Amino acid sequence: MLKLRDYSITKKLTWMNMLVSGAALLLACAAFVVYELTTFRAAMLRNLSTQAQIVGANSVSALLFHDPQAAENTLSALRAAPAILFGGVYAKDGRPLAMYWRDRGGPALPLPAIPAGQMETHWFTDQELILVRSILFQDKLTGMVYIRSDLREMTNRLTRYASIVAGVFLVSLFAALLVSSIFRRIAAQPIVRLAEIARIVSREKKYSVRAPATGNRDEIAVLIDAFNEMLAQIQARDGALETARVELEERVQQRTAELEAMNKELEAFTYSVAHDLRAPLRHIQGFSDALVEDYGPRLDAAGKGILQEIADSTQFMGRLIGDLLALAHVGRQEPQLQLAGLHSLAQEVLRDLKHETDGRNIEWRVGGLPFVDCDPGLMKQVFYNLLSNAAKYTRPRNPAIIEIGSTSVNGRGAIFVRDNGVGFNMKYSDKLFGVFQRLHRREDFEGTGVGLATVQRIIHKHGGQIWAEAEIEKGATFFFTLETLETKAPQEETRTFALKGEHG
Amino acid sequence: MNDAVEILLVEDDPRDVQLTLRALQAENVQNQIEVARDGEEALDFLFRRGIHSGRSPDHPPKLVLLDLKLPKVDGLQVLKEIKASPECHAIPVVILTSSGEQRDLVESYKLGVNSYIQKPVDIAQFRQTIKTLGLYWLVVNRPPPNKTFHEGPREPGL
Amino acid sequence: MKDTSYHLTIALVVCAVVGVEGLQAQDPKPTEYQVKAVYLYNFGRFVTWPVRATAGDEPFGVCVLGQDPFGPILDAAVAGETIDRAHVVVRRLAKPQEAASCRVLFISSSQNDDLKEILIALDKQSVLTVSDMPQFVRRGGMIQFLLDGNRVRFEVNLAAAGRAGLNLSSEVLRLATNVRRTP
Repeated sequence: MLKLRDYSITKKLTWMNMLVSGAALLLACAAFVVYELTTFRAAMLRNLSTQAQIVGANSVSALLFHDPQAAENTLSALRAAPAILFGGVYAKDGRPLAMYWRDRGGPALPLPAIPAGQMETHWFTDQELILVRSILFQDKLTGMVYIRSDLREMTNRLTRYASIVAGVFLVSLFAALLVSSIFRRIAAQPIVRLAEIARIVSREKKYSVRAPATGNRDEIAVLIDAFNEMLAQIQARDGALETARVELEERVQQRTAELEAMNKELEAFTYSVAHDLRAPLRHIQGFSDALVEDYGPRLDAAGKGILQEIADSTQFMGRLIGDLLALAHVGRQEPQLQLAGLHSLAQEVLRDLKHETDGRNIEWRVGGLPFVDCDPGLMKQVFYNLLSNAAKYTRPRNPAIIEIGSTSVNGRGAIFVRDNGVGFNMKYSDKLFGVFQRLHRREDFEGTGVGLATVQRIIHKHGGQIWAEAEIEKGATFFFTLETLETKAPQEETRTFALKGEHG
Repeated sequence: MNDAVEILLVEDDPRDVQLTLRALQAENVQNQIEVARDGEEALDFLFRRGIHSGRSPDHPPKLVLLDLKLPKVDGLQVLKEIKASPECHAIPVVILTSSGEQRDLVESYKLGVNSYIQKPVDIAQFRQTIKTLGLYWLVVNRPPPNKTFHEGPREPGL
Repeated sequence: MKDTSYHLTIALVVCAVVGVEGLQAQDPKPTEYQVKAVYLYNFGRFVTWPVRATAGDEPFGVCVLGQDPFGPILDAAVAGETIDRAHVVVRRLAKPQEAASCRVLFISSSQNDDLKEILIALDKQSVLTVSDMPQFVRRGGMIQFLLDGNRVRFEVNLAAAGRAGLNLSSEVLRLATNVRRTP
């Protein structure tokens, strides 16, 4: 059931009109009816009193000369007044002289007493008006007239009034409806239309519509104008926003293109530089070897030592250049995605690492690894770098425990490589994947500082993320996600880890 | 100029030449090695043009070690001409280059190269590779007999 | 002795019964002459006399000529009554000439034989003549009492009243059983 306040304006106006008209009308009619009824009552009373007087006057002689017949004749005149039920002439001692009954014969009714000092007494019951009047003849009380009249006339009048009121009421309501509909057109219609337009605007987000003006100068017109103005402003702002957005996007695209170009240039540069460095490096190595070969015997230990340093340095330089080339190579090409089993890739890498880790006590734990869409060559490189790192940094451990498996991190699937090696200080974790950045001294652990950068580059190319958690002397765990990994973890590992900010 | 050349080394970098020669000699691969410093020289030698016009056609080299980046005429062009000519196409050509570029690899094999080696950075590995190369192509491999050069290829164009 | 007391008792009883009856007779139903008495002076209310010089305090005389059949009844009936603000008094006349102060005169049926003379004597005086002797109105009387069963009725001779200068209200006329308009 709709609450009154939720009715439409038109309905409200109509109701208001109707109620106002109805109330006014009702009051007027009520006043009118009440007035009429009271005056009518008075008139009716007067009438009846008069009739009583006449009957009384005409019954004097009948009373004085005890002539009931005469009195009856007089009373029979009352038949002319159809409302009168009963009329009676009574002697002054209260004894009935003659009777008149309208409908049926009946006994004489006992005479009600007239209060002292009064000529007459009357009262209304809900059915009748009852009147008793003294008959005076030559200032002497001669007898009493007792008349009872029914109220049919009054009832009839009431009914007639009621029907008139009802009729007028209906007509007025109808008129109110008419007026309402006229007013609707003038006042409510614009509001309703405005509401409609507002609804369209908010539903369809069309700011090009406008509410039609009414041509008036009232508050509604003001509202409509303000509304339209608002829409115009929104439109303008939207337009400006759109333009700005387009501009921004263009600029972003431009900038991205620039950055990409720069990146490519940088990578090309890195590549070509690294590439060009290979030949001279080879020459340095070659000729210092030649020196050792041809003039070795003539050199003392110090001399040989110097040459050894040269040889070591050039060897290291070679590795650096190789790693840089690999890094640049990864950056230059897009990964060729195909469905590959990470498990078998890992196994291949473990085989490759076998000769490097020969003689050491390493416990390899390989957990369930899924099939994913990836570039198998690049992923192999990732595993190689991570696993050889793990092997390297667990060298002081016996046994070294290196795990590789899959898990779930914050609802996303991830691969991890965990070792029980020397770990690193999380304070420097943001340097972990930087090029040439190392968290350990070269004399403790060799390395070019490029391996993890390469791994990160490959992982990013696969749309994933890589980060690490470690504790000094407890070991390190490297996690990475791939865009193509399932969000639910495979069977083996289902531990959830909280991300400590975004790494990688 | 001795006509019995066994290896034609086409390499422009003199130091690489020196190191390669040392490697070949150190491994006791007794060969007559001719060095061409650019593509033009290489082609002149193989097709007995220019200064090599006096060379005998009966002794084609058993192996051509070809670098790719060469002045005047580059390695791929040289390869192309060798493999296109009836008299020289049977000569084994081994590309020995520092380039690892995919496209060089593809082009070379399209042109019919016999083997593609990327020069190792590490000198020890370099020497080993050269030794292996020499051993394989000159000792293990049976070179094409002379007849091959006179009859030419069976299928036109490679 | 025994006989006397016995008779006495009987007499007492009879008297008591009669007395009771008499009492009963008196209360519920008025007697003939009680009614007539009331009618008598009430006629006075419905008659207009010709204007004559009267003193303000003059009483309204209701007279009886001849043998009075009313007795104290009439006195009792008129006691305290006023007609036209004049006290009603009762007078008993010996002869009609005394009727000068009378308004209403009841001629007893004892005067039946002398009626003609009485009426002539009253001719010049405006007196309402009422009687219950037979043929009263025929003989020139104005109102004659009749008995209709138990009911007291009257006849009116309007012409006679007119000759005496008396005007009778229609109110009373309509109650009359008969109204003679011709002399």
